Amino acid sequence: MPGTLTSKRFKVEDLAAAVDFCYTRGWSDGLPVVPPTESAVRAMLEAARLAPDAKLAYIRDRFVTVTAEKVAINAVMAGCKPEYMPVVAAAVEGIGDERWGYHGPGTSTGGAAVLMIVNGPIARELDINAGDNLFGPGWRANLTIGRAVRLVMRNVCGSMPGLLDRGTVGHPGKLSYVIAEKEAESPWAPLHVERGFRSEQSTVTVMAAEGPHQFYNQLSSTAEGILTTLADNMRISGNVMGQPHYCLVLAGEHMKTIAADGWDKKRIRQFVWEKTQNSHAHLKRTNRMSGALEPGDEDKMRPLVASPDDILVVAAGGRAGAFSCFIPGWSSAKSSAAITKEIKR
Amino acid sequence: MSIEILDPTTPAAPRPIEYSPRPGSLAGKRVALIENTKFNSDKLLQRIGEILKAEHGVAECTMYRKHNASVPAHEEIIAAIKTSADVMVAGIGD
Repeated sequence: MPGTLTSKRFKVEDLAAAVDFCYTRGWSDGLPVVPPTESAVRAMLEAARLAPDAKLAYIRDRFVTVTAEKVAINAVMAGCKPEYMPVVAAAVEGIGDERWGYHGPGTSTGGAAVLMIVNGPIARELDINAGDNLFGPGWRANLTIGRAVRLVMRNVCGSMPGLLDRGTVGHPGKLSYVIAEKEAESPWAPLHVERGFRSEQSTVTVMAAEGPHQFYNQLSSTAEGILTTLADNMRISGNVMGQPHYCLVLAGEHMKTIAADGWDKKRIRQFVWEKTQNSHAHLKRTNRMSGALEPGDEDKMRPLVASPDDILVVAAGGRAGAFSCFIPGWSSAKSSAAITKEIKR
Repeated sequence: MSIEILDPTTPAAPRPIEYSPRPGSLAGKRVALIENTKFNSDKLLQRIGEILKAEHGVAECTMYRKHNASVPAHEEIIAAIKTSADVMVAGIGD
C-alpha cells in the first residue's frame, strides 16, 4: 500500500539496542518488543490493505485519532505476523466505537482488559486458539493480537499504567486477552451470527472485562446441573450492582452435556440470568447496596445484567476437563457495551 | 549495522484551556454541583452545598447528575450551567 510513513524515525546501533531503546522511551508493556522498522510496518499495512493515514478510531475524550500507521507500528512491536493486522485493526475500531466508551475502560480503577473474541474463518486461518489453554500461553496469534491492541492503548491513546490507566489491581488479561470460538465443534450458533453477521464473515467482539473465573462441575450430566453450579459461582462476582455484560465460556465436556439436553444459547442465557439474581436484602447485608433493610427486600431481586441478551455465550476451551468459566464485564450498564466489528480483508 | 525504527506514539493534541475569572466572593452566587453517580457522591456534594450556603452566603445550589462516572458532563448539563450558575463544583470521587 503506497503512502508516506510520517512517524518520527530513530537510528539505533543494532537489534539489542533497538529493544533497549523502546524500553527507555516507555513504549513497552514490560516485555521486549520487536523493533518497528519501515519494512515490517509496511508489510503490516499491506496485509490489511490500509493506507498509513487511514483513520481507524477517534478517541473523543483524548482528542486522538488512531491511524493505521500507528496501529501497524505497535502491531510489529507486539510480535504480530502481518496477516494478524486486519484483526488488530478491527479490534481498534471496536474500542474506538462510542458505545464501547474508551475513556472508562481505558483508564478506570476497575482494571478492565479488552476481551477479544474472534469468530469466522479467519480464526482458523490464523490459528487463533479456541481450545486447550484457551487463555494461554502457547499461541502467537492470541498473545500478540491482544498485546498490539494494548500497546496502541498505551502509546497512542494515552492509557499509560500508573498515569492515565489507574487500574487498582488490573489483571493479566491486560497484556493480551484474545480467544476464538470453537465453531467447528460447537453445537450452537456462533457469537457473531447471534450478533447479526453471516457465518462466513470474520469478526472480533471487544468487551471491557475482568479476568476469567473458572468453575468446576464433574458430577452433573445435565444442562441444568452444570449451569446451576455456574450460576452459584457467578451470583456474587464482578460489580454485582449491574455491569453491562457477562461472557460465559463453555468448554468441551460442559458444552457437550448442555447441548445433549437440547439447550441452545438463548435458553442458557435465560436460565443463568434468572439464577444469578441477588435479593436486595443480601446485597444490603453484604454492603454491596446502600441503605437500610426495608420490608420486601428479601423478595426484591436484582439481576447481574439488565437482560439475558447481555450475557455473551461462547463455546471454547479444551475437550477434556469439567471446567468452564465466566467473565464479568467491567463497570456499570451505562458505561461500556460489547462491540462486534467485521474483520475486513 | 544500524537500524532505523519508527515512533509508535501519538502525542496528545494540545488544547488551550482558559479558566473563567474567579468571583471575589461567593455571597449571592448560584452554585452548580456535578454529581458523578458514584456511591454517596450526591451526599458529599449536598453537604458541600450546605456549607457553601451557611458559611459563604451562597444563594442557591443545584445538583446535576452525569450519565455515568466514566464520561465528562454531557452537553445539556454544560448548557444549563452556563445560563443558571455562577460557580460549579465537580470532582472525581472513588
